[in-house]
Order: sequence, then C-alpha cells, then structure tokens
Amino acid sequence: MDEFMGVLQRPDFIGNLILHIEYTVLATVLGILIAIPVAVLVHRSNAGSTIAINVGNIGRAVPSLAVLALMFPVFGLGFDSALFALTLLAVPPILINAVVGLRQVSPQILDSAKGMGLSGLQVLTGIQVPIAAPIIFAGIRTSAVLIVASVTLATFIGGGGLGDYIVEGYQRNSTAIALAGALAVAVLAVITEATFAGLQRAFTPKGLRIAQKRGRATK
Amino acid sequence: MIEFEGVSKTYAGSDRPVVNDLTFNIKDGEICVLVGPSGCGKTTSMRMVNRLIEPSEGRILIDGEPNTSMSGTQLRRKIGYAIQQIGLFPHRSIADNIATVPNLLGWDKDRTNGRVDELMDLVGLPPDQYRGRYPAELSGGQQQRIGVARALAADPPIMLMDEPFGAVDPITRDRLQNEFLHIQENIKKTIVFVTHDIDEAIKMGDKIAILKEGGILAQYDTPENVLVNPASEFVQSFVGGDRVLKRLSLTRVGDVELEPPTGNGHDLPRILEEWSLRDALSEIIGAGADRGVVVQNGDSNGSSSGTITLDSIREISHGAGTPRG
Amino acid sequence: MLAFFQAEFAPEDTGLIDWEWLGDNFTEDVVPAFFQHIFLCFVSLAIAIAISVPLGILAARYRWLYPPLTAVTGFFYTIPSFSMFTILLFVVGLSVGRTPAVIALVLYSLLVLIRNVVTGLDSVPPETKDAARGMGLTDRQILWRVELPLALPVIVAGMRIAIVTVIGIAVIGAYIGAGGLGDLIFDGITRDFPTLYITGAVLATALAIGADLLFVGAERLMSPWSRRARGAT
Repeated sequence: MDEFMGVLQRPDFIGNLILHIEYTVLATVLGILIAIPVAVLVHRSNAGSTIAINVGNIGRAVPSLAVLALMFPVFGLGFDSALFALTLLAVPPILINAVVGLRQVSPQILDSAKGMGLSGLQVLTGIQVPIAAPIIFAGIRTSAVLIVASVTLATFIGGGGLGDYIVEGYQRNSTAIALAGALAVAVLAVITEATFAGLQRAFTPKGLRIAQKRGRATK
Repeated sequence: MIEFEGVSKTYAGSDRPVVNDLTFNIKDGEICVLVGPSGCGKTTSMRMVNRLIEPSEGRILIDGEPNTSMSGTQLRRKIGYAIQQIGLFPHRSIADNIATVPNLLGWDKDRTNGRVDELMDLVGLPPDQYRGRYPAELSGGQQQRIGVARALAADPPIMLMDEPFGAVDPITRDRLQNEFLHIQENIKKTIVFVTHDIDEAIKMGDKIAILKEGGILAQYDTPENVLVNPASEFVQSFVGGDRVLKRLSLTRVGDVELEPPTGNGHDLPRILEEWSLRDALSEIIGAGADRGVVVQNGDSNGSSSGTITLDSIREISHGAGTPRG
Repeated sequence: MLAFFQAEFAPEDTGLIDWEWLGDNFTEDVVPAFFQHIFLCFVSLAIAIAISVPLGILAARYRWLYPPLTAVTGFFYTIPSFSMFTILLFVVGLSVGRTPAVIALVLYSLLVLIRNVVTGLDSVPPETKDAARGMGLTDRQILWRVELPLALPVIVAGMRIAIVTVIGIAVIGAYIGAGGLGDLIFDGITRDFPTLYITGAVLATALAIGADLLFVGAERLMSPWSRRARGAT
C-alpha cells in the first residue's frame, strides 16, 4: 500500500498523468475539428454520407494498437506518432454520429425552416445542430473514452503517458507500480465517461429531453 | 394578387412535367385551394410561390412583381408557411417557435412578445399557460394551431398552407377548419391552400384549382361552379357522385327563400336557420316528412321564419342558383 | 511479383518489410498467430453470447434487472483494456496466459450483447406477440419461434460490434501471454523489427474489418425485410 502511494507521489507520475490528459484532449479536439466539418459537408448527399459512415465503420474496426504500430515507422518514436494515431482513432465515432445525427432531422422540420426563410447556415446552426447535439455528443463521448484507453498503449511507441507505469510494473514485477498506472487510467476513463455523459445531457435541448421522455418522435 | 403565368416544372432527368403550363390568378384576401390526386403537382405548384422550388418555365408574380425580384430567403420571410407534419422545432419552446420569423426580421423583443401573445390568444392557446412549453407537450391539434400561429407571426399578406390540418382526427380537423375560417374573416390573407381532400377544398376555398396528373389545371372556379358545372369528366369523377349533396352543404337554410310558415306544423321536423341545406334534407327525410319548419337559432320552439320543402331543396340542387352564404 | 512489391514498398536498403524473412517465417510464425487470434476471439465471443442471451431475455422480461445490468457491464466496458488485464493479473491474482485475456474479452462483450438482445426483443411489435398468443402458442414457444427470430438481426448487430471490439483488444492481450497477432506486434517493437509489427498490425486490421464485413453480411441475410444502408451503432 505504501509502495503504491509512493508511486503516485513520484514527480514523474503527475507529469505522465498530465501528458495522458493532454493526449486525450488534443486527440479528441482534433478529431472533432476533422469529423464535424466533414460531416457538415457530406450529410446532404446520400452517397457522401454512405461513404463517410462506411469509412467510419471500417475505421472503428481497426485495432488501436495496430494504428499506433503503423504510425511508428512513419513518424518515429514519441509524441507526434502517438498523437497522430490517437487522432485517427478519435475521428470515426464522431464522424459516424455527426453524419447520422444531422441526417436524422426530419425533412418536414427542414422544409418548414427553409419555408420560413432561414438561410442554409441558419438551418444548420439553429435547427440541425441543436437537434443532432445529443447524438453528436454521444460520438464525442465514445471517442474520448476510447482515446483515454488508447493513450495507455502510447507507451509502446515511446509516447509516454500512464501506460509507462503498467509496463514498468510488468517489467519489474511490481504490483504497486502496475496498479498505480492501471487504476489511474481506469479512474480517468470513468471520469471521462461521466463528464461527457453530463455534457451530453447539458447539450440536449430541453424540448428534446421532454420529447424523449414522452417517447414522441423528435424526428 | 398572385399570378401564375405559364408556370411549368420538369425535374432534371425526367421528360414529363409535374406542373404543366399553369396560368391563373389568386385575388387578394382569397383562399385558393389546390386540390387533386397524388402526383398532380399541387404541392410543387405551391412551393414555387415561395421558391422552395424554382419553375422550369413561366413566372409567378406577387403584386405585379416577379417573385424572383428578391432573394429566396427574403421572399420566404414575407410569406407565411404551414405544412402538414407541422414541422415545429422540437428543441424550441412554443413562444420561440412562433417568434421564428419575427426574430429573423430583427423585431425588438417587446414587439415580438406582444405578437406571440396575440397569436396564441387568436388560436386559443392561452400564452400564460403555453408560452414556455415544448412541442412534445402539446396534442396534435394544439401543435397544428401553433403551426398556423407561427405562419402568421410576421403578419405576412400571403400564406402557403400544405394540408395544414392533415395530421389530426376528423373531428379536430373540422374544428380547426372552422376556427381558421373564422380567423380568416378578420385577417383576410391571400392563401394558397393545398389538400387532396375535395370536401376540405369545398369548405375552405373561395376558389378551387383542380389539378390532374401531370400538373394540368382541370378547372379553376368557385366551389359552386365546380360542383354545378364540372369542366370535364375528370373533374366530375374527382368531385364524386355526391356532388349534389356537397353543393347543398355550401348553402345555409337561412340564405334561401322560404315558403311562408304553415299554420299547423307540430308534427314537422324543426330546422335551424344556421344549418346547411344538406343537414335540412337529412332531417326532413329522416323524419319521414316532405317539409320542415325553419326556426331561428337556438330555441327550436321559437317563432318560425318559414317552411322549407323537399321540392325547394331539389330545385336548388338542380342549379337554379342561390348565392353562397 | 514479389520484386514488384519490394520496389513499391521498400525502396531503401532492407526497407520496412523484409519480404525474405516473411517468406521464410510465414507458415511458422505468422499463420499460427493469426489462427490463435481467431480462436481466442471466437471462444470469448461464444462464452459472452452464452452469458448475454439468457441475461438479456431475463432483463427484457424483468425490467428492473436492466439498469443494474447495464451499469455493471457498462463499467467493465469503460475500463481501458490494458488496465483490465493488469487488474485481473495483479488484483484477482490470475496467472499470465489465456485465461485472464478470455475473461477480459468476455467482460467487454457483455454490455453490447445484452443491450442488443433487449433492444431486439423490445422491437418485436406487441401485436405480433399478441397474435401468437391468440393462436395458442405458449410463452416459451413465443420466445423461440417469434421473439428471438425477429430480434436476431439486432442481436447479430451486437455480435458484430462485440467481435470487432474483441479482435482489437485481443491484440493487447498478447502482452499478458494470450498469444495471437499481438505477439508479432510486441515482438516487432521490442526487437525493432518493422516487418514483424507491420505484419501483425496489418493482419489484425484485416481480421477486424473482415469480421465486421462478415457480420454485416449476416445481418443483411437475416433481415431480408430491411435492406438498407448501414447506420450508426
């Protein structure tokens, strides 16, 4: 137990914790910045949407460790490789949900918005995005939790993060060190999940929450 | 005034027009109902007025100006728009839904709020109770009322309504239709109203444009003339075998010339002046009589204003011509 | 043929892929790892299905079971796999090998599978069940002949997500001695031998995508009444 607390108090532990969070935030934000504009561009076209969703589905299937391993020869050891791979992992869930979310707004709602004189941009920002917000946030939440887990593997390509301690624990056969890493990552993942669940709720417009509760179609 | 001038629409990749050389005028303050079977281009025709669809040929003038003289979005903000599935925004409150166009037009808050309250009162949903609610909290009929209120928000002179009372049960629909006609008496909007239901067309329209497949105008006339003088076999069959009855339903008992009251009418059915001739006919036949005693509103024991006979109803139904109520 | 690939992908000296090595060791190292991986994943998925389907049926019947079930399995699903393996070894005290890997893979599959069993059963229209009851089927017969067949496409959709997740996580399982394609990746990284880890990564990716497509096909076959584009999961 003391040994365990000792690991948590190591000066480099805080550094790696912060690095872990930094990876997660950067990769998720980059994922959003890539996926959302693409979704906005393609969602009006059936072919574009099908391609985006299928590419997303295939992207989701690729194992995290495989993505990291494949970035290794391209960017070499370290931060860049890891961040690039993590961003690639973050894109598919956000992309799929954003496309589906924007498309599920009913044609009648879009028609009446347009018929009342909203411009294309106003329809997108004032109608489609708020109605799709819960689904888009669900995608971001999936990505963020996936990234927290995948950062753990960055250690194998010299990317640092909390995975370092798990590997160190195995190598030195130290329960304390391995668990310090493993539990810290687990707690981080649970916190991320809870935070995004909260955000998802906060970004669901009240009218939609009522509609969901009443089981009425919001589409 | 809305003028269709040789308007046609053919979609890309198709050689058959959905709307074919449409020419007619809609006068200010009138309800023009576009009616016809599915595939007759009625909705397409309506959507060309506010340029949700652009015509392939011809043009549409609004008060003498082509509707292309301003941008599509600007044009649409000046034209009320209400559709069948209502299309209320589920994430916005009732008040915000109604305020959509005023907000787009940049009205100040007080003016918008005042207008929202006024409209909610007009459609019979007390603002203090319903302002902050969301669409999912309203019944279908209430949602359709809000849909109409939202279309009226910026007080547009023209309204486009695509089966605006389509998504409710027949009884609620009937009530919404009556309410809307009542509102229209005061607001006198120029309305393009789309429906597939000939009964609704006869009830709501000052003029009816009957379209047939391929977007061809089969007849454009008042409901009476459509019923009395159908322009073609198509119109006749579309209007239906009961067009005589339909026509009777357009005329109120109080509007026809009655025969003087008979002295002894105790065993005759009582007919209210506000009833339609169709209702009167039903009542008289149902009572096994050949005439009924017409009484004023409400009190059926009140003084009789005359007698209506089956013969007189028959005469009217044959088109001797009675002005519409 | 081989020369062409060499020119394409390995322009400099030995290059990223040492084709000669790959040719020599393919049947000895690569193929066994590939089949180990498949075996590990299908065993885990089979166990997970055996647990999830009964639990899902129960949760669909007895609604109060559903929230705690999703809470617990959702918690497992949230725990990063590398942490999960570590906890199973150091806290639960399992020894290195296949067992902790299989347990972890089963735990990861439960949420998706149970959720899809319940969603699938829920999607059966009440009128259909009513009609079956009206024709004199017992509850058990209704379950086997009406509800499960109608729910099957949704359940298969769950299996698809589960198998893809499991294939990806099993790669990491190699670190705790589960074997499979992860061995190639970890060995390759440790020995700084790109041929090895690229082969492992490419095969793992191909396996996951292949399984995904296979199950999409199965989903379509099983619901001929809804041939539509794939939606979000």
